[in-house]
Amino acid sequence: MQPTTPDKPHADAAVLADCPPVDNRVPGNGAVWVGIFAEMSEFALMFLVYFIAKVHYPELFDQGPLKLNTTAGVLNTLSLLTSSYFVAKAMKSVRMGRIKQAIRWLWGTVSAAVVYLIIKAWEYYWNADNGIDVDTNLFFTVYYYMTFNHFLHVFWGGGAILWAIMRLKQGHYTADNHEGMEAIACYWHMIDLVWIIIFPLLYVLR
Amino acid sequence: MKTEMIRLPAMSSYKILDYVWLALMAMTLGSAFLAESAEPSLLVTLLIAVTVGLKGRLVVDRFMELKNAHPYIRFAMNFYFYMLPLVILLVFLFPEFIADITRLKH
Repeated sequence: MQPTTPDKPHADAAVLADCPPVDNRVPGNGAVWVGIFAEMSEFALMFLVYFIAKVHYPELFDQGPLKLNTTAGVLNTLSLLTSSYFVAKAMKSVRMGRIKQAIRWLWGTVSAAVVYLIIKAWEYYWNADNGIDVDTNLFFTVYYYMTFNHFLHVFWGGGAILWAIMRLKQGHYTADNHEGMEAIACYWHMIDLVWIIIFPLLYVLR
Repeated sequence: MKTEMIRLPAMSSYKILDYVWLALMAMTLGSAFLAESAEPSLLVTLLIAVTVGLKGRLVVDRFMELKNAHPYIRFAMNFYFYMLPLVILLVFLFPEFIADITRLKH
């Protein structure tokens, strides 16, 4: 194993941090975008089911959000948006050659992901205590299907971030070579984007 | 080991991320306020739809850095965040029509 790369700034660090390498590029690599579009399509189908169910059972979807714990939903949103911000900061740091700083940002991402997972698990217990489960009605069936699916994505996405931290520590990602880390970053942002839609659909919209 | 400090431009994209994050936090708290206080209406639905679109675009452009990415990728991601707010509005405006065209048995 190679030692952790020190924070040695790249020669044109400020410029590199300010603009991604080239125009019309594929961020990360092509494979991760196949995965991202597959995941986005999967969630699009779930959103379609949500909208169809909503127009057929308007009363359930009007009352459902009122029974959910809005505070948990908001805290989940804040933690995921913050995790995405940390990933974006980590990418900029890598481009500047600030590897240790990038690692610190990514640990922030992992922490935010853990906070998200704990809040969501607590919310499921809170639901159970309030008589809400997957069979309560169609709104909650959709709620559990969407949120648990997303929960799993946060879990394994967090694993990918840990992998990126390990690769950074081993010196595999540098200011000039960080394609793998960028692919993981894009995947993580996709997880955040999906929650940006799930939150208003389930907790706000009536 | 001595680490050389790099001075970034006054409004570097590194710094802009801070403002993007603050904007996203503010929009989320605004949505929470709507969830807790507002009754369903066209204005509230419009606000929610616009917020979804804005948050999505901010993450796509600023965090994901797709502003100058391959046009197919940029188009696909942006399309998602134009369509979703539009569908949210259509479902609010024409629920019965959408229910009719998605009903299996007439």
